[in-house]
Amino acid sequence: MSLKRNRQPAIRPVELKSIPEAERFCLKNGVPLYIIDAGSEELIRADFVFNAGQINEDFPLVASMTNTMLLDGSINYTSNEINNAFDFYGAFINQSAQKDSAGITVFCLNKHLEKILELCCEILFNPIFPDDELNNLQKKRLQSYLINKQKVQNLANDRFFESIFGANHPYGKQVLPTDFENITRDKLVRFHNDYYAHGDLSIIISGHIHNETKEIFEQYFGKHDCKSGLPDLKDIPIVASKKKRELIEKKDALQSAIRIGSETINKRHNDWPGLLIMDTILGGYFGSRLMKNIREEKGYTYGINSSLMPLHQSGYKVIATEVGKKHTKNTINEIYKEIRLLQTFPVDHSELDVVRNFMAGEMVRMFDGPFALAESFRAVWEFGLGNKFYYKLAEKIKTIGPDEIMYLAKTYYVIDDLYEVIVGSE
Amino acid sequence: MIDFKKFTLNNGLRILVHQDCSTPLVVMNIIYDVGSRDEDPEMTGMAHLFEHLMFGGSQNIPDFDTPLQMAGADNNAFTNNDITNYYITIPANNLQIGFWLESDRMLGLNFSNEVLDIQKKVVIEEYKQRYLNQPYGDAMLLLRPLAYKIHPYLWSTIGKNMSHIEKVTMADVKDFFFSHYAPNNAILSVAGNIKKHEDIVSLANKWFGPISRREIALRKLAPEPVQNEERMTEIEKDVPSNVLYKAWHICKRAEKDFYTLDLLTDILSGGESGRLYSSLVREKKLFSDINAYLSGELDPGLMIINGKLMDGISFKIADKAVNEIIEDLQKIAVPDPEIEKVKNKFESSMVFSNTSVLNKAMNLCFYELLGDANEVNHEVELYNRVNSEMVREAAEKYLQPANCSSLLYKSKKSGR
Repeated sequence: MSLKRNRQPAIRPVELKSIPEAERFCLKNGVPLYIIDAGSEELIRADFVFNAGQINEDFPLVASMTNTMLLDGSINYTSNEINNAFDFYGAFINQSAQKDSAGITVFCLNKHLEKILELCCEILFNPIFPDDELNNLQKKRLQSYLINKQKVQNLANDRFFESIFGANHPYGKQVLPTDFENITRDKLVRFHNDYYAHGDLSIIISGHIHNETKEIFEQYFGKHDCKSGLPDLKDIPIVASKKKRELIEKKDALQSAIRIGSETINKRHNDWPGLLIMDTILGGYFGSRLMKNIREEKGYTYGINSSLMPLHQSGYKVIATEVGKKHTKNTINEIYKEIRLLQTFPVDHSELDVVRNFMAGEMVRMFDGPFALAESFRAVWEFGLGNKFYYKLAEKIKTIGPDEIMYLAKTYYVIDDLYEVIVGSE
Repeated sequence: MIDFKKFTLNNGLRILVHQDCSTPLVVMNIIYDVGSRDEDPEMTGMAHLFEHLMFGGSQNIPDFDTPLQMAGADNNAFTNNDITNYYITIPANNLQIGFWLESDRMLGLNFSNEVLDIQKKVVIEEYKQRYLNQPYGDAMLLLRPLAYKIHPYLWSTIGKNMSHIEKVTMADVKDFFFSHYAPNNAILSVAGNIKKHEDIVSLANKWFGPISRREIALRKLAPEPVQNEERMTEIEKDVPSNVLYKAWHICKRAEKDFYTLDLLTDILSGGESGRLYSSLVREKKLFSDINAYLSGELDPGLMIINGKLMDGISFKIADKAVNEIIEDLQKIAVPDPEIEKVKNKFESSMVFSNTSVLNKAMNLCFYELLGDANEVNHEVELYNRVNSEMVREAAEKYLQPANCSSLLYKSKKSGR
C-alpha cells in the first residue's frame, strides 16, 4: 500500500464544548468571590482586581506606582520580608496597572495558600509607601522610561493613543520625564486609600479548589470594610486629535514603526463578534491578508498584525508593524489597499472557512486549563458579560457570511477616519 | 510526574507519548538535533533561517500553515545554539493532519527559490527589529565573542551579521537539510488527549516510518580553551544609561554542577528577594535592575549577570559591588533557609510548568536529547540534593575573575 502524501487527511469540525461557569459568592463584607474549579494539580491562581487603573488617576503614573509599591513595605513587614516570604513559599506574583483596572495575580501551591493570602491581605491593605523606596523607584522608572523612549514601537504606541483618545484623557495622556519627580508619597497614599483600601475589590480564583478554600478567603478578605464611597470617575471626554497623520522622524532608526487605527466599539456592542472575525481576516493570525502580503510575499517585516482592544469606556483597533525604513511608504499603501479590498469584494468561502476553523480552535485553547479559564472569564466579566458572550461569538464564527464582513469593513474601517502614526522615516 | 511511553522506529526516530485527557488538545513537538553551533563560521544564522524555510511548503504539500489553520491548530518554532524545536497544538480529532504535515517536511522541502528569497528578507527584518533597532539589543552579539574564542557559541543564533544570511544559496539550503534533518536526528513527542497509545504507534509508523535514515554531518566541535585571564571590552552607544554584562564559563548542561549553578543564580536573582536585587538595587541603590541566569546550552555555557547602573554610578563601583556578592558566596555558606527558599521556588515552578501540555511535550523531547526522557521526572531530586557547601564550591570553582568576561555598555550621553 503506498502512502498518498499529496492527499490531505480528512479534517473534522472543531467544536467548542460547554464552558465551565464560574461560581459566584459574596464574602461577608460584600466582596464578590468567583470560583473556577478546574485542573488536577494542587495549585491555585487568585486575581485581586480593583478599579484602580489609569482612568482613576489624577496625575500620570499614580496608578502604576501605587500598584508597584504594594510590595515595598507594609505596616508589619519590610519590603525584603515581603519578597522573601513570597519567594520562600514558591509563589509567583504579577502586579499590573492597566488603563481600566489594577491589582495583583498570585500563583501558589494549595499547601501554602493561607500564608500567601495573609501576605496578600497585608500588601493590598496595609502598604506604607516608604519615602526611601519611592525615591528609588522614581529613579528606576525614569531610567526604564528613557530606554523605552528610544524604541520606535513604544514611541509609536504612545503617540497613537494620544491621537485617538486625546492628550487630556487618561487613555491618551503621555507620561513626561518631569512626571516622575512630581510623584509624592501623599498622592500614592491618597490613591491607595480611595481605590484599594476602600475600593472596589473582586476576587477570581481558579485551580484545584478544596472544601475549605472559600472559608480561607472569607477569613482574610471578608473582614475589611470595603466600598465606603469610591470617588466618581471624572467625566473627561475623549477628544481625538484633528491631525490624522503623525510622523516622528528618527533618522538613525533601521526600521519604522507604523500604527494605523482608531477608536472603536467594545465587547458590549452587538457588532463586536463579527468585527473580531473581520479583523482576524485582515491581520489577526499567521495566514491573515496583511501577514501574507507584507511578510510572506514582500518580506518587508518580521511581523504585522491588526487587533481589537476593548476598554471600559471605549475601545480601539490598531494595525501595527515594524518595517525596514525603505519599505515604510509601500507598507502603508498596502495596508490601505487590503482594507479597501475587504470593503469592496466579498471574502472567498475557502478563506472564510480557514478563518472559521482557526478561530474555533482558538476558542478551544481559550478554555484549556484553569489559568486560561480565569483569563477568559476576566476578559468578559470586566465588561459585565458572561459565557453567553462566548457562545454568541462561537455561533457568529459558524454563521457569518461575506456580505456581513464587507459591511463591517465599510462601517468600521472608513479610511478617512483612521489615524496613522509613523516613527522612523518614510 | 510525567508518565510516558517511548518507542523507536526502524529509521531511528524516537517517539515519546504522554496521555493527559484533561485537555481536548494534543501537542506534537519535534526537536531536530541541530542548532547554530552546527553552522559554518562563514554562514552563521543558517539554522534559524532554515527554521523559517520549514514553513514554506514541503515535497508533497505546497502550504504548511493553511491545513493547520483549517484543523483549528496553532503552531510555531524556535531555534537556539543547540536545537531547532517545532510544535503544533491541535484539537485531538485532527491529530492526523499534524502527522501528515510534520512527516512530509521531514521527508523533504519544496526547496523553492522564491521562499528562500522572501525568508532571507524576513529574517533580516527580524535581525533589525530584535537586535539592532533596540537599545542594548546587540549586547549578546558582543558578549559571546568575548567569552568564546573557538567554540561556535561565539555567535548568536540570529547570526554574526546580516551579510551571512544574505549570501545563503539554494545549494546551501539543500546541503543543510540533508545533513541535519532526518528521522535519526530527531525526537518527537506527542502529548495530550490521546485515546490509545497504539493509535500513536500506528500514526507514527504510517507517516514517519517510510522516511529513510540519512547520514548526519559529524559534529566535531573543538572545546573552548580554558580562559586564564579576565577579559573586558567597552562599547559606547546612544543609549540612556550604562549597563554592565558579566559572563563566566560553566559546565555542560548534563553535568551535576549545572543544577547547583542554577540554584546559585536563583540565590543571586530569583525574584526580588535575590541577593543582587535586594542588596544592589534596594539597599545600595547602585543598579536600577540586575539579573543572573544560565545560558543553558548543552556544551559548556555561560552564567551571565546583567545590570543597569543608576545614573552617577561608575562601572568600577558597580563591578566591585557585584564581585563582593560573588566573593560572599565563595567564602560564606548560604544559610539553609535561603537554600530551602530557592528549592521551594523550583518545586512550585515545576508544578506550574506541568499544567501546560506544551511544556510537558517540550521537556520530554529535551530530556531525551540530553540522554533520557525519564530524567525529567528526577529533576526535583537533582535540585534537592544541592546543599550550601556545593553552592560554595561551585561559586569558587566557576566564578573566578580569570574565568570572567565583562562588557561595559556605555551611554554616550552620560559622559562619566
